[in-house]
Amino acid sequence: MRIIPALIGSLPRPLGLAKKIELYNIGRLSEEKLEEKYREYTRRAFEKLREAGVKVVTDGMYRWDDIFNPLIRYIDGVEVNGLFKFYENNFFYRSPVIKDEVSLLDNPIPKWVNIAKEILEEVYPEATLKAVLPGPVTLAYHSLNEYYESLEALARDYAERVLAPLIKELEVEIVELQEPALASELSRATREDEVHISKEIARVVIEELGKLRKLWVVTYFGTPQVVPKGVILNVDLVEGSLPEGVSGEVGLGVINARETKMERTDRIRDRLLKLSGNFSRIYVTPNTLLDFLPESVAWRKLRLLGRLGGE
Amino acid sequence: MELPILPTSVIGSYPKPRWLLRQYKLYELGKISEEDFKEAVRDASIAVLREHERARIDIPWDGEMGRSEMTEYFTAKIHGFRFYGPIRVWGNFYFNKASAVSKLEYREPLVLDEFRFVQSVTTKEIVKVPITGPYTLADWSFNEYYDTKEDFAMDLAKILNKEFKLLEEEGAKFIQIDEPAILNHPDEVEWAVDVVNRAVKGLKIKVSMHVCYSNYYLLADYFDDLKVTQFALEFANRNFRDMDFLKKLTYQELGFGVVDVHNPRIESPEEVARAIRKVFKYIEPERLYINPDCGLKLLSRDIAYRKLVNMVKGVEIVRKELEREEKTSIPFRTLRDI
Ligand SMILES: [Zn+2]
Repeated sequence: MRIIPALIGSLPRPLGLAKKIELYNIGRLSEEKLEEKYREYTRRAFEKLREAGVKVVTDGMYRWDDIFNPLIRYIDGVEVNGLFKFYENNFFYRSPVIKDEVSLLDNPIPKWVNIAKEILEEVYPEATLKAVLPGPVTLAYHSLNEYYESLEALARDYAERVLAPLIKELEVEIVELQEPALASELSRATREDEVHISKEIARVVIEELGKLRKLWVVTYFGTPQVVPKGVILNVDLVEGSLPEGVSGEVGLGVINARETKMERTDRIRDRLLKLSGNFSRIYVTPNTLLDFLPESVAWRKLRLLGRLGGE
Repeated sequence: MELPILPTSVIGSYPKPRWLLRQYKLYELGKISEEDFKEAVRDASIAVLREHERARIDIPWDGEMGRSEMTEYFTAKIHGFRFYGPIRVWGNFYFNKASAVSKLEYREPLVLDEFRFVQSVTTKEIVKVPITGPYTLADWSFNEYYDTKEDFAMDLAKILNKEFKLLEEEGAKFIQIDEPAILNHPDEVEWAVDVVNRAVKGLKIKVSMHVCYSNYYLLADYFDDLKVTQFALEFANRNFRDMDFLKKLTYQELGFGVVDVHNPRIESPEEVARAIRKVFKYIEPERLYINPDCGLKLLSRDIAYRKLVNMVKGVEIVRKELEREEKTSIPFRTLRDI
């Protein structure tokens, strides 16, 4: 069995970068200078990921305020609303308000992915880069729907009219979809409830997107209620458990990204050993976004994650 | 002790004067001494206290001029916490989330100096001392030491209890426990109530509990179990709708939030008066205090002040009406009375 350390979603945004973004926001730093800073910090992140031995990486989402922003600013039919709590965390996101049929607008995301790819090619060419996007189910659940007749119709349109055209433009082999809702919201859903998305629809919209590009579907804050075929499913083993029916390649969130306490590698290895018979390949990952940890602790945990790698 | 009927108060925070924010920056950069910084904080406290008093607030506070944030201020003084660095709350805003790394111990007072100073400079008989509650402190910290979050929060409750008793000895009459997180995890509320009760154990003064932007129907199920004198809740932000949960508040007081702290629009006195008349359907005037929804710190200082002024004017309209029924004052109720 192969165990491969992988990053999911974001890294904590470095304080120094945040200060530059703030300077840019008040007009005291030029766009070019800010862009330079993004590249500088991305380069540093890739170097540290290389040193840590994390083989599959993201760009750390330094250009994203949360998993939805700025994507939702580039969607027609959407207005961006105030701050909402992201699950039970003391972390807030800006929510999309759906005013009309959604469709993707011109946006810089493919370009950002290419920039990250170029930097990775220079500092850590052996690594695989994933592009990260919010998944259609989670997007729908975190929207204030003032237009669509159902959340399911909204999730479908997010998939077909926003994510599909965007994914086609991304020059990466793997696209990561942030889909905590597959675990969190769907585990609370009941069939009669109209404000919910059925598991069947959730599975189908994701599998359709999976025809465009290899997908890495990241779930957290519970056990995924849906196991889409043909994708790498990432399961939060800290706050959830492995659902039935997962085989082949799997992502396992074994490092707690919501507590500063360091894990014991021997205990994680024992746990992985018990699971190893079921899979051709295991990616070990943090259980959720590393945003919830101070930067120094997040990197310590990534180095620990790197030590889990091997045959 | 008697208070005018519908006593007015604040929740806690108030916009810091711009010049004070500059002192914070300079102090952070090591460019001014601790002594100078503390003097600036004290001067700002007096300024804000006077502002509250000029607005004719009956029970003021200093607007938390010496506190940069509502958990770090406390966790930094409790032994057993450590800080690994800031984490992001949203956008480019960060806070220092503490980690409990060993058994928590109370080694120095948390807000005693603050209280003593405010008490020495206020012209009012009673001030309200707001303190972040044990559950919220635990919920907004990391836990590396305790087996369970309940054990963690319970130790914080014991520590806060020591502080509360010290404040009581020093003459504090009114403490407010801020628990904005207490309803975040519905399956933890049951023990969170025990934790709050542990924090107030043995106290004889007035204790209010402030909870905001949460499901009050869940809180209402525990009104009778919580050993506090008052609940200070937010209503303006929800347009005074859906107040039926107040039927369950049968003997404690309500701190009625009539000023929206998330909207710069200044409520008119008549609007405030109307809201108060509306809540009379649920709570008799003798059990009502009037306050803003929450801390005012996100507003500009000028708007915060004008909101307080109009809040008091609105209260005065209703007081006139109550005067006709010969309702002019109420006794200051404490934990001894409930
Ligand atoms: Zn509040």
